Amino acid sequence: MAFPMVDFDRFLFAFTIGSHILLVSVSITLSILISITEFLSIRYNDRYYGALARKLLRVFIVSFGVGTASGVVMAVELVNLFPGFMTLVSQTGVIAVFYVEIFAFFIETVFLVVYAYYWNSFTGKYTHWMLTLPIVAGTLASGALISMVNAWMNTPNGFNISNYLATGQITDVSPWAPFLTPSTVPEILHVLSMVVFAGAMLMGGYFAYRYMRSHSEEEKELFLKGLRLTTLLSAVFVVLTIYSGINEITTLLTEQPLKYAAIELNPTPGSGFPEHIFGTIVGGKVVGGFDIPGLQSFLVQMETGITNLPGLSQYPQSEWPPLIIHTTFDIMVPSGFLMGFFLLVFTVMWLAGRRPYDNRLLSYGAQFLAPFALATMELGWVTDEVGRQPWIVYNVMTVGEAANYSSALLVPGLVIIAFYLFLIPFTFYFFARVFNGKSLERELKETSAGGGVNY
Amino acid sequence: MSTINWLFYVNFAVFSVFLTLFITEMMGAVLLLLFYEKSRKSVLDYIVPIWEVTGTFAAFWVVTADFAYPSLLLPVASLFAATIIIFLILFVARNASISFAELIIRRGWLDEKKLYKLYSLFTLLIGLVVITVLSAIVSGRGISLSNYSFSLATWISDPASILYVAGVLFTGIGLAPVFYSMEEFRRLTVPLTSAGILFSTISLYLYSPSFITPMFLVPVLLTLVPPLLYQSRVTAPLISNKLVFGAMTAIIIFSLNYIVYPTAFGGSLVVDEITAKGPMVEAFLLLSAAGAVIIGLLMILYIVAVRNSKKGRVSTEHPA
Repeated sequence: MAFPMVDFDRFLFAFTIGSHILLVSVSITLSILISITEFLSIRYNDRYYGALARKLLRVFIVSFGVGTASGVVMAVELVNLFPGFMTLVSQTGVIAVFYVEIFAFFIETVFLVVYAYYWNSFTGKYTHWMLTLPIVAGTLASGALISMVNAWMNTPNGFNISNYLATGQITDVSPWAPFLTPSTVPEILHVLSMVVFAGAMLMGGYFAYRYMRSHSEEEKELFLKGLRLTTLLSAVFVVLTIYSGINEITTLLTEQPLKYAAIELNPTPGSGFPEHIFGTIVGGKVVGGFDIPGLQSFLVQMETGITNLPGLSQYPQSEWPPLIIHTTFDIMVPSGFLMGFFLLVFTVMWLAGRRPYDNRLLSYGAQFLAPFALATMELGWVTDEVGRQPWIVYNVMTVGEAANYSSALLVPGLVIIAFYLFLIPFTFYFFARVFNGKSLERELKETSAGGGVNY
Repeated sequence: MSTINWLFYVNFAVFSVFLTLFITEMMGAVLLLLFYEKSRKSVLDYIVPIWEVTGTFAAFWVVTADFAYPSLLLPVASLFAATIIIFLILFVARNASISFAELIIRRGWLDEKKLYKLYSLFTLLIGLVVITVLSAIVSGRGISLSNYSFSLATWISDPASILYVAGVLFTGIGLAPVFYSMEEFRRLTVPLTSAGILFSTISLYLYSPSFITPMFLVPVLLTLVPPLLYQSRVTAPLISNKLVFGAMTAIIIFSLNYIVYPTAFGGSLVVDEITAKGPMVEAFLLLSAAGAVIIGLLMILYIVAVRNSKKGRVSTEHPA
């Protein structure tokens, strides 16, 4: 039997994007943190924030370098692994979204280059700091635009879908429609808030670890400032993540009811549904796990006023996504609340004048929750993407129809996987290495050198 | 009545800028590999801030190609499936090695020099992949459009392909000292560049005599200008100016558009037939115009920053 190339394509892309979003989370959060720390260093003439900005900038350069290459890998992989999908994309307005993303990427790149390599070309401190704003805007816009593409995959528009399904011809193209589908705004809000939250938690965990291990007062001061910032950022963004997540699930209810039914594990449509915690469906019935009676219907009604909820039996079983997404969702949501609770305790102690950073239990908690936040982010992505299976474009094109069946992809694809398995841990190791590359003393004194190119 | 295929020309213009940036990186990579200590300062001063922009232009070109030739995606994905993945691995390795090299502080076995050499190696390997694909697109050698396959063995067994690679290599090595102002190699620039042009000309003639038209004189003569101007101490600084050299290279590459338009793959693919049509064309042109303004402004900002740094307008008071 031939190797199922469609599954390989699916796995390879999932693996690549799963690795890539780790870097995206770090990059977006770093751009925000660099902007804040440089501003604080100028505003309060605080050399620790200045040193932190420089250290974080070095990490950002590595993250940006590897992340952009990884982004190009994904862009090209889409063509290579799913040419049918990209042919559809290229004939509809979705390609315009990709196109605009390139301009966001340019803004981020050029401003970063000027900000980082020509630091001393700017006589005004605030002028230099202002360069961080387009960098932040560029990184956020890149994230938002790629979320737009994903939103279109979930709720496609901008061409005559029924005619396409009947004839395979793309007609009535509206180039700008994919910029705003029914799921665009909720998805952008949830994705961006989640990636910033996860990135801030990751860095907070690292700062907590370094704060606990530092013996020098100067270092302790540096990491304490970093920890305070990341805690604040995490606290703000966990609230946004939870709020936008609720918004997302209600959008699913109206726009992708099958995905909703699979996530909530509703075998049949109806009302008065419990919240199923874990479990699966066997023979049309929920087995395993436990129920909280009436909770699902109560929450939905409170949020949307809808009382009748969709069920899997309304759809052919061949179109059901793998029901594992119910489990991933059930891990993801409590994880988010757990981290929210942790941050609440941390913030309350801080506001009460206690020093949560010196509490070993809380410090270990912050360190443990750092990778946990990233894992939660990945689970959210798995829930979204696996929840759309077997479709690559919901109700329009299946992954099987889009895939490249060339077996020539197999060996180089395996090499890519092996390469990423080495690259990602090494990149994170390198983050730490460049962050700690210079002594804090030297960092506080140093000014960066300008270029010497004949332009 | 024929109309101008703007999508092709926009895509080719973006490609010309990308290839210009990439070629200048490749020239630097050769120097770093062969003469690391001598070339380090002049090469890295240029490459370190620019490599991210090169990568961005690569992505830009890929997206404009997706936009302009939607029906070409399936064949290209099948034709170059393995080649593209090899390119991607090398591209990530290139970015990782240079960003690590920029920031590493020696501790242990890995140091800046090793990482820059690795970067150079990856860049040259990417160059080889790019040259192979471009040569195949131009000539159709090794390509079977009936079953969407590309045979590297068939491509490489054609002497024209070897000459094509040699032509690019010699031209690049010949121009590298001009671009990076390495006076000690001044005398080598004209013979090496001339040899490169000769190999390229023979290669294109072997691919198809129809490539050697009066139009071909434009890139040939323009390619000879930089090494010739570099011989005089008066004109050398002018031609070593990155903007002047870059603009000339982009014009040279753009002037070669006739070898893939109106037909590519050795005449078997009519470009107009595979170019996007309908409302997407208008959207493409509108976005391209907006994008050109944005990128133009960004490039001005970049050049101003570089010039300010050279003038010594340096802030002595950093917040830290």
